[in-house]
Amino acid sequence: MSNKHLFLNSGFVRAPLQNGVGRYVCQLQRIVLKFCKTHGSCRGLRDFIEQDLVDFAKQNPGVVVYLKPRRHRGPVAVAEYLNGDRVWMNLANKTHSEITKWIEVLRTQQGDIASTRLRKYQYTDHPSIQGPWTPFTFKNPELNTAVLPDQKFGANDRLPMSATEQLRLMFEKQKLEEGDVKTAE
Amino acid sequence: MSAFKRVQQWATFARTWHVFDCKWQDPYDSAQVIKKYLMGLHKPIYHPTNDCGDVVVCINSRDIALRGDEWRKRAYFHHTGYPGGASWTLAWELHNKDPTMIIRKAIYRSMKGNLQRRHTMERLFIFPGEDVPQDIMQNVTNQIRQLRLVPTRLDHIPEEEVQKYPKVMDYPQDYVLK
Amino acid sequence: MVFLSIANWVRSRGPDEIWRKRRVFKLAAHYIGRRRNCYSVAVRNVHRALVYATKARQLKKQDMIDLWNTRITAACEQHNITYYTLKEGLDRSNIMLDRKSLSDLAAWEPRTFECLAAVAKQKIDYDGFIDGTDRKQPTGVNLNLKDVMLEAWLKENKK
Repeated sequence: MSNKHLFLNSGFVRAPLQNGVGRYVCQLQRIVLKFCKTHGSCRGLRDFIEQDLVDFAKQNPGVVVYLKPRRHRGPVAVAEYLNGDRVWMNLANKTHSEITKWIEVLRTQQGDIASTRLRKYQYTDHPSIQGPWTPFTFKNPELNTAVLPDQKFGANDRLPMSATEQLRLMFEKQKLEEGDVKTAE
Repeated sequence: MSAFKRVQQWATFARTWHVFDCKWQDPYDSAQVIKKYLMGLHKPIYHPTNDCGDVVVCINSRDIALRGDEWRKRAYFHHTGYPGGASWTLAWELHNKDPTMIIRKAIYRSMKGNLQRRHTMERLFIFPGEDVPQDIMQNVTNQIRQLRLVPTRLDHIPEEEVQKYPKVMDYPQDYVLK
Repeated sequence: MVFLSIANWVRSRGPDEIWRKRRVFKLAAHYIGRRRNCYSVAVRNVHRALVYATKARQLKKQDMIDLWNTRITAACEQHNITYYTLKEGLDRSNIMLDRKSLSDLAAWEPRTFECLAAVAKQKIDYDGFIDGTDRKQPTGVNLNLKDVMLEAWLKENKK
């Protein structure tokens, strides 16, 4: 099951907080407005072009604006971004103020975020403070100079204490308490 | 990826070579432990598609210990694929022919029967005795602990330690041992 | 529109047939053969795909839980403790960390996980609880957490 045949793009959460701290780079590369000069659904877009487009172009010198009048077709805006995304937006039957707001949205986006499936809901550049796990994190350093196979590292050390060992420990404790130890005869 | 992050990734996904001494161990119990190391289930970075398994070298597989009557009664099945090619081999016969087969079959059986099993078995090396080729042994860095206790023989312990060991009781001087 | 010839027997099966079918073909664009181009073949396969997608939402959650369990068990074994003991000890100490957090800690912050395992083991000792699932398989190093404040805190939080 691979991802390459799926048309739904997937990506990680990104927040390029650097854009705007020093210098702001507008991520919108070009915007193409297709409209009809007579169709009713293009009224809002025509108003926008007549009134606000030139100011928009002057305020954003880095954005290239293309106008494509096409007869008998609906109004459409295609925005292309610096990371290669293309956003197609239908502006049919939208009012002038709505179109202004949508153009503002397209200008301030950094790509096609609405149609990207988030693979994870968190992102961090520093996932680990102590350092990620490696096979050497909890390794006994004596293994570095040991000659394997060694009885010391190979025998089971979690077995319960045998009876012989328990008796021996009792004997040692007794020796510490009283100097003379009696054995059965 | 920066150089630091690349080295960090090499460290995290490094493949360790383990050695396991099969002397006097039950093959089926030790298979449960060994398969964990082979599949990478002992690592907190485990994932089935990750290829995070380690290499395990088993030595002394000739000295393996089966429980109870199994040496005489346990039979291994093999079919050549041709008609009339079914054969049942007893454990002692199989061990005489090839001392590594019993532990190999035990580990193969302990894993789930998916397509990754054969690939994982490629990471396993089994040797019947102590001598392992130098180019395999020089990669080994860790030893897997055994499950059963292997007691030391009395004549392998040095004389003075045997004399010094505390006695609970001792025979009187004039006692005659038959 | 001007019709230059009379069209007989033209029957429309539904005014929005094209749009209905387009919805289905959009989902079948990456299929192979007739499944991509013929509606009656495509619609069956698209329905099956959608059913699989619905059922898989629960399966994905179960798969993630199993993966987290495996990772936590692996990290526990490195410290000679069982998953059951870890869960029991952390629950009794009122440390509410879920499987996702525990497995992320085990992979990214191994020392923190070691301390958590030691805390769990210490609490189990103080409560006198014996783990029957521990088969005493030797896999790691015995934990050695010496913290004066920890004893008092664990004894105070006794359930």
